[in-house]
Amino acid sequence: MVSDIEMIAEAVLPSPGADVDPDLLPVEPAYKNVLRARMSVIWLVLWAAGAVADQAMLQETAAAGLPTFVIPALAAVAILTAPERIYRRLHYKLTDRLLQVVRGWLFHVDTVVPLVRVQHIDVTRGPLEKAFGVATLVVHTAGTHNSIVMLPGLAPQRAAEIRDIIREHVRTDFA
Amino acid sequence: MSEPTLREDTAVGPPEHLHPLFLLTGLGGSLRGVAGGYVAIGYLAVSGRWGTAFFGMLALIAFMTIGLFLYWRRFEFRVGANEIRIDSGIVSRTHRSIPFDRIQDVDITQGPLARVLGLARVKFETGASAGQEEGVLQAIRLERAEQLRTLVRARRTHAVSVEPNTEAVELPPVYEMKFPRLLLTGTFNFSLAIFAGLFGLASSPVGEAMGFDPFSRTFWVSILSVSGPASELVMAHRYATAAAGLVLLVLLGVVTGIIRTALTDFGFRLDRTGVGLRRRRGLFTRTDVTLPVSRAQAAVIATGPLMDRLRWREFRVQSLAKDEGSKGSHVLAPLARDAEVDRIIGELGWQPLPPRIAWTRVSLEFVIVLGVALSPLFLVAIGNLVFNPIVGGPFLAVLLGALGLRWLAWRRTGYSVDGDRILVRTGWWRRRITVLPAGKIQSVDLRENFITRAFGIAWLQFGVAGGGMTGHSIPAIPRGEARKLRDLLLDMGV
Repeated sequence: MVSDIEMIAEAVLPSPGADVDPDLLPVEPAYKNVLRARMSVIWLVLWAAGAVADQAMLQETAAAGLPTFVIPALAAVAILTAPERIYRRLHYKLTDRLLQVVRGWLFHVDTVVPLVRVQHIDVTRGPLEKAFGVATLVVHTAGTHNSIVMLPGLAPQRAAEIRDIIREHVRTDFA
Repeated sequence: MSEPTLREDTAVGPPEHLHPLFLLTGLGGSLRGVAGGYVAIGYLAVSGRWGTAFFGMLALIAFMTIGLFLYWRRFEFRVGANEIRIDSGIVSRTHRSIPFDRIQDVDITQGPLARVLGLARVKFETGASAGQEEGVLQAIRLERAEQLRTLVRARRTHAVSVEPNTEAVELPPVYEMKFPRLLLTGTFNFSLAIFAGLFGLASSPVGEAMGFDPFSRTFWVSILSVSGPASELVMAHRYATAAAGLVLLVLLGVVTGIIRTALTDFGFRLDRTGVGLRRRRGLFTRTDVTLPVSRAQAAVIATGPLMDRLRWREFRVQSLAKDEGSKGSHVLAPLARDAEVDRIIGELGWQPLPPRIAWTRVSLEFVIVLGVALSPLFLVAIGNLVFNPIVGGPFLAVLLGALGLRWLAWRRTGYSVDGDRILVRTGWWRRRITVLPAGKIQSVDLRENFITRAFGIAWLQFGVAGGGMTGHSIPAIPRGEARKLRDLLLDMGV
């Protein structure tokens, strides 16, 4: 999942978003831990599957033992690098008319939602997010493409605050 | 309509049932729903257990009839002063109430059998998330369906503007399709779907069992060998046969296209009504759908290289409600001249398109980025070309073809801010002009990835309500311009 080209591109090229707009706010650093924990779980499952496949099918071949040892190495690299970068890219901005969310590490997405277009708002907290004290703000618009805009890694109070600000603006503008 | 409905009020209205003939018309739908059952029965029949197959079929039909009967028995709807209540469910009951305020429109559909029996399927369009069937009355009398529609419209427009006899006076249509144009539309809808069907049959277990495989040589040879002299003729004039085959192929494609078009678009007629545009069409299944103009979110004028040369266009509108079938966008004119398109746009209450549009072209990186993305494949293709030209040649040709098509598309791709809306022109084969009012934009994404970033270009993608058209986006705009355009559109829209 970590490709060398990306790493080089990331190092050489400035990351857009953070460079242009000083008003963009970062999210809680604790979000990095959520990402790390989440990735650890995924990699653990992968590793378990790899180890089982290794035992069951690869014993007689030259690749014996490969998954069992390579997957943890890849996992370590991914868990050490990716959350940091994802966190560094994730920013948001709330003005009196717009919510802007800049996110994505390989695929940058910079979403702007006019507050009057918001249909409804959720604040969600999964078990990992609860453990690390963050929350995700989920904004639903009527659009069928990217109708759900997620802003993870907010402090719960901040998420509630933003929700209340947006709620003021929610109105139906469909006939 | 501000006072709340009281539960025990007369406002709820007397209970009504579906028409008893629903037992007949509904059977068709149920029969389509149990494809698995036929496979099982077919298998039993093929393997010679006729008795079991027969019994299975009886059981299936009995089961469906009982199910339908129970559904009919337990289905009740009431038309109240402010809402429609639908109580349904055989075991677990659902009591749904749909306020008239929320009903955008009433769609009436009639299948062939229902037309004979004078029944109609009524769907209350609520603009809820696409795919949800919120309020459907499977079969009621057509007159009752039309009554319901008039009632809903009257409630929505606060009981003044719609009087029942507006339907009786038929104004000239906004757009209609006569038979010659239907044929022409069918020709443009040239389709080789029939071969996909044959292919599907061939690869299915049934086809295999029957030895039916039109893609194998032996299949044709064996057919020809049955008719002895014909095969000699074919073998003697193989070039003529090939040419005849090609002609037959084209003919089949045209006929398929015409049949498919005729089935859906026969008697296509678009009328102006109080709230919007009413469309009626269909050969066997007649549909009658009204698109309220205020619900139109975006419009697409579509054409193709040949259609464009002959100055024909198709006009579709994306609305909050889903069109029948899975397509989502509402076709308002399957084949129209520019003047007719302008007329329909005018009926939507929108400005007509300017005669000469000043397109801002997107950057050439649109093509280059694809080349970069495909570069690993190019390497593979070139490697193959050196060592194994038979594989490498065609592979390289396909890649170059993809790039060539992208280049042709690039030459046509552009955007233009026109008053308070944006026009986007895309595609070379599937030519489209999208008309997107700034006020209908729900969200804007500026997308980049690790390749486009290196070239400083971005894709602008618009979230628009309602289904059907996938992704309204403008490709390959220099990043700074994309930001400016985004801010401009958001300023206009909000």
